[in-house]
Amino acid sequence: MRRLLAGLAVGTFLVAASACGSSDDSGTSDKGTSSGGTTTVKVGIIPIVDVAPLYLGQKKGFYGKRGLKLSMTTAQGGAAIVPGVVSGQFQFGFSNMTSLMIARSQNVPVKAVANGVASTGLAGKDFGAITVKKGSALTSAKDLEGKKVAVNTLKNINETAVRESVRKAGGDPSKVKFVELAFDQMPAALDGGRIDAAMVVEPALATVRSQGGTEIASSLVDVAKDLTVAMYFTSTQYEQKNPDVVKRFQEATAESLAYADAHPDEVRSIVTSYTKIPAAVLAKVTLPKWPAEPNRASIEALEMLGEQDGLFKSAPDLDELLP
Amino acid sequence: MRGANAALGTAGLAVFLALGEVAPRLGLVKEAYFPPTSRIADALGQEATDGAFWTALGDTLTGWALGLVAAVVGGVVVGLVLSVVPYLRDATASTIEFLRPIPSVALIPLAVLLYGTELRSVLLLVVYASFWQVLVQVLYGVRDVDPVAEETARSYGLGAWARTRHVLWPTALPYVMTGVRLAAAVALILAVTAELVIGAPGLGARIAVAQSSQAVPDLYALVVVTGLLGLLINLGARAVERRALAWHQSVRGEVAV
Repeated sequence: MRRLLAGLAVGTFLVAASACGSSDDSGTSDKGTSSGGTTTVKVGIIPIVDVAPLYLGQKKGFYGKRGLKLSMTTAQGGAAIVPGVVSGQFQFGFSNMTSLMIARSQNVPVKAVANGVASTGLAGKDFGAITVKKGSALTSAKDLEGKKVAVNTLKNINETAVRESVRKAGGDPSKVKFVELAFDQMPAALDGGRIDAAMVVEPALATVRSQGGTEIASSLVDVAKDLTVAMYFTSTQYEQKNPDVVKRFQEATAESLAYADAHPDEVRSIVTSYTKIPAAVLAKVTLPKWPAEPNRASIEALEMLGEQDGLFKSAPDLDELLP
Repeated sequence: MRGANAALGTAGLAVFLALGEVAPRLGLVKEAYFPPTSRIADALGQEATDGAFWTALGDTLTGWALGLVAAVVGGVVVGLVLSVVPYLRDATASTIEFLRPIPSVALIPLAVLLYGTELRSVLLLVVYASFWQVLVQVLYGVRDVDPVAEETARSYGLGAWARTRHVLWPTALPYVMTGVRLAAAVALILAVTAELVIGAPGLGARIAVAQSSQAVPDLYALVVVTGLLGLLINLGARAVERRALAWHQSVRGEVAV
């Protein structure tokens, strides 16, 4: 459903863009609103732990000292973010790598500009994992053959990751039955036996653990070492018109990512300012990694797997997509 | 009679709340997904002390009110114009029947592209959904005008404006008020839905954040708030309807004679 909406949205945009050019206010919002040497840029984000560095960087003044002010706009999932950035509603957005590559392969003009979030690279200690209910007979990803496995979005990064885990464990991923379910609904569905396994990320992962569920594979780790899971991106049009703003955003974000990586306690405390994750859960949440630079090798691995699973019409050109 | 009804209503609600408290505690439903009433009330209390909650409530009400006003004004004006000009009515009938069933939520991708997560996205959906409620009622209302009264007014030499003012509008008003009442409820539903799905600021977006944060009691607390809001809006709409139609029975009585 969400994919359908996203597809419809992007399709509508392309029609609209070719029919009548850009809407009236994209001209003014291109540069963001400037006042007193400060440029305000709108960033479309999902209110999850992953984007904590932006909030932290804003608070620490990493953006301010470069004349940037971030106006965070929360959207429910990437469905609103990619079209929002492409149509100029947001100057920057946060999206997972597979979505960005799919967009690029469909000629949607997106350009990744700064690293977003990466897997911890440690099996069993990552922020995402395939989980099963307490006492489940499933003990490895190979056992998922013929089973119902929930992913948040079909034909996207998490499905690719689960497939790779199954493959690595010696199973046949084409025998897995994937179902689409929002992360927050997975613990209940798992507990109620409606699904056999779920590819969850934090904070749902902490909830599953608290219910006695166990992890059978760290899928993001299986895809590639230190997988770059998501990045901040802009539209190619905005990047060409405002190279200076993009450069400042890149620098400030790199500094924020490094700071967040070094100060997990501050991350946990800033997360409470924009999410409602209960303190007890937050304390148990596994934080992701925030390297300042994307890991190109891992993205190539993700691309290769995506191609193998038929996610792309034509392989996206990473030189065009990546900064 | 009224007092007895109120007492029964209160008792029913009390039983419901008590069930909500007891069922999870006895383990009939999972406490993790259906927190007891007291914990929801707790979460509600915490929300009330949070400034961001009141901002969200304000955002939702702003979207609701602006959207409703635009839909009502648009629906009444367009409805009257279409009704008064017969050719126009025939020319638009099929178009209206084509557009009306399009669910407002299907326009979410369009709203995102045009306005991102701003208030205008919410307004687009709210106005689209509520407009038809009013328009259709106006069209029905105008059709209900008594031809004898209309002819009488004509033969007394009343002009188009006077006939609209004294014959058409009083007949249509009960329908219009029904339309407004329906539109008020629909507008709230769409405002919250838009916030929930698109992420425009408001109670819906706050529900979405609570949902993705696994904050179950807060989630229920916010749902209760939207429910209360719907209740208040319905009560308000009924009060407005009663006031606007206080004259209704007597006037129609005279017309029918």
